[in-house]
Amino acid sequence: MSEYHGIHIEDIFNSMKARFRPEGAAGVNHTFGYDISEEGKWRLTVKDGDMSLEKADDLSSCDVVMETDGATFVGLNIGKVDAMSALTAGKLKIRGDVNTFGITSKIFQKYVPPGAETTQEQELIALKQTISVDQRFATGPVMGKFLQGLKNKTILAIKCPSCGRLQSPPREACAICRVRNDEWVEIGPKGEMRMMEYCYYASPDPLTGETRETPYGAIGILLDGCQGEEVFWHLLRPDQLDRVQMGIVMGDRVRHGTRLRPVWAKNRTGSVFDIQYFEIDE
Amino acid sequence: MQKTVDSADAYVIDGKLALPYSYFAGRVGSTFITALRDSRQILGVRCEKCHKVFVPPRQTCEKCMADLRENWVTVENTGEVINFTVVRYSDRHLPREAPYILAMIKLDGADTPMVHILDEVKSEDVKAGMRVEAVYSENTTSTILDIDHFKPVS
Amino acid sequence: MGYRKKNRHVGIVGVGETKFSSHREDVNQAEMIHEAVRQALDDANLTMDAVDCVVHGNMELFEMIHQPDLWHTLGSGSYGKEAFRLTTGGTTGGTLACSGDNLAASGMYDVVMAIGFEKLQEGHTTGGITNMADPLWARKLQSGALTDSTAVKLIEEFGADRARRAAMTYRIIMDKHACLNPNSHRAFGLEWDQMDELMETSPPLIGDLRLIHMCSQSDGACVVIFASEEKAREITDTPVWVRDHITVHREETLNLCNNYYPTDTTHRFAAEKLYERNGITDPLEYFDVFEMYDPSAWWGTDWLKEFFLLAGDAHLKLVEDKEIMIDGKMPINPSGGVIAANPIGATALVRVAEAAKQIRGDAGPHQIQKPVNHALASAFGGTMWTVLTMLEKELNW
Repeated sequence: MSEYHGIHIEDIFNSMKARFRPEGAAGVNHTFGYDISEEGKWRLTVKDGDMSLEKADDLSSCDVVMETDGATFVGLNIGKVDAMSALTAGKLKIRGDVNTFGITSKIFQKYVPPGAETTQEQELIALKQTISVDQRFATGPVMGKFLQGLKNKTILAIKCPSCGRLQSPPREACAICRVRNDEWVEIGPKGEMRMMEYCYYASPDPLTGETRETPYGAIGILLDGCQGEEVFWHLLRPDQLDRVQMGIVMGDRVRHGTRLRPVWAKNRTGSVFDIQYFEIDE
Repeated sequence: MQKTVDSADAYVIDGKLALPYSYFAGRVGSTFITALRDSRQILGVRCEKCHKVFVPPRQTCEKCMADLRENWVTVENTGEVINFTVVRYSDRHLPREAPYILAMIKLDGADTPMVHILDEVKSEDVKAGMRVEAVYSENTTSTILDIDHFKPVS
Repeated sequence: MGYRKKNRHVGIVGVGETKFSSHREDVNQAEMIHEAVRQALDDANLTMDAVDCVVHGNMELFEMIHQPDLWHTLGSGSYGKEAFRLTTGGTTGGTLACSGDNLAASGMYDVVMAIGFEKLQEGHTTGGITNMADPLWARKLQSGALTDSTAVKLIEEFGADRARRAAMTYRIIMDKHACLNPNSHRAFGLEWDQMDELMETSPPLIGDLRLIHMCSQSDGACVVIFASEEKAREITDTPVWVRDHITVHREETLNLCNNYYPTDTTHRFAAEKLYERNGITDPLEYFDVFEMYDPSAWWGTDWLKEFFLLAGDAHLKLVEDKEIMIDGKMPINPSGGVIAANPIGATALVRVAEAAKQIRGDAGPHQIQKPVNHALASAFGGTMWTVLTMLEKELNW
């Protein structure tokens, strides 16, 4: 058995029983696999507030499996290696749900290397707070007119009297020409998909803490009547992510993107989600 | 500029801003809080050059930039009111229901006053120079509110 | 345009950087900043008495505290001094350098200390960024600071395999540089033979943008001290001269509503203007190092084209031929760049500090071995905002 950072891997596994926290394991019912290259495989079963650990040849029955090397594994346990960094660098792989593996940090007390028990670290205070304030936003006349338009299933753009470009959502002025926009034009509602951000990772909404389901597609649509960079930003119907093509203009090369149409919400309140999403126009 | 836009479509929508964060007190701040919480002792740091004892403690002297991290001193749980005010409105971010008294209190052994809540006294009876002492809270929050409030020395 | 030559020359006389890391529970914000302040003062052999003005910057909302410059007086040394706070998003550090240069050049102050910091671990980056977007529209749609648009563009133009390899080559080069820099937050020790595996297995974020491509979230601070020519010569034998700077942004994208698909980049616009007014015709020949604000390996690869005004696939070749390595023709980010450490409010100031150290020749293990006389540093903000700073060893233009 090799040593990493002066610690035997067996020490970490053998001490698991002593470090087990039944209160942290309450309600947890999972099998965790540890596949440490050149060292061996272990299967940890946590069930009914108890645990068992065994060496195993086959981890395929486990809910989640960690694959890593000895140095990374020991490093993670003694706090020398950051899990996110190891994951990023490909030194740590998780088969199954990463968050499930994260539960183990609640189930076990931190591993303390033999001999290090007596050196007491200073307690460092960290305060957790949430700022929560109510806000009010005035739409103003221009954004207000646009949002009211959505209620009536129309998508409005505003036109620059100088350069003629369209903006939707609209803005009061054309920032390039520095003039007030004054003409309203109805655009779309159908158009061509130009750009899609195929999002595998969703940031939690800081207002609700909810995370959008992934994958999702944030798209730029060139609505009929628009040109060039005048794209409209919205979402794609979630089950159609793999069926669409982006349009592109690169020098003389022009490729048209998939034709899309809006799916209107039943109850429209003058918000971005008066359009549920765009879907393939077929 | 003359207003030429039609405001008929303008309206107001409600929003909310909720932002979670942590604050790391650091070694100096943590030493102060844990002493308060675990031993009911109030610690400060001394700047030898400026002859000042700072409470709450800080890592460096604001004037001469000397490193004060190791210059711990224990100050008294008693002190005097330098100045005070009465908070007369209630808000969810405030520690007490109004009205309550906030006072600048210079502890015995310290050169800098700190702000805290003054209680067990009517606001009309509070005077600058009044002697006060710390009353510790029953439940800890690992914050300065581990001192629940100050009260007049009996 | 409104550009005028400076009133007087300005030199960098001191720099300080903390070690960058994922979290710093052992210090509060003021104490962390103080580490960099102390280093910069020591580096310049000055005390705080010599500093006339302090400029402080970080991201708005990121630590969720109001007026951090006031909180930080104890660590920044700004007690009783004239002080400003700047917060211009990702470019904050670049704007700090601009203002240090401007304030000293103006004649108002002889010695100006610029401080950039971030303790990302304390705050909620996404919360901060989300609140930048228009609450009526884009706040519901945006995907934080992540985008796949550059990867889409490069793949469209050069084919998936070549584009993906170029981005991963860029990434591994940055990691090799990061391994040389003792201040790096993330230095993995990636090897060339990991390339294929990383392209397949690194967790995907958006489209072809994977976790491995993206910059880190770091805690840390950086300080740069600027001085007028006369003062600079008194303070040090090795001042690094700030020849020029430029700041360019597209107000258009600021509400993140329109122009989802910008074609003219602020990078190219800024670079063209800066080179033109300084008589630089071939930037690739002229500069000896470029510290780029590169939030991801895709952007880093693509932006070489913009900053050096290249055409065709010249930027890809620079990467593929490893000419951007520390011993190559045009070393990019010998420090490891933003992918190695990203304490956002400090990040762009770190680019200037690192470029200055390369010119002085005392960058440490990641010092370029060839002489460095001309350096370029960039800053970037997600609303399409570019700041470029040009540094020189000799005051001879």
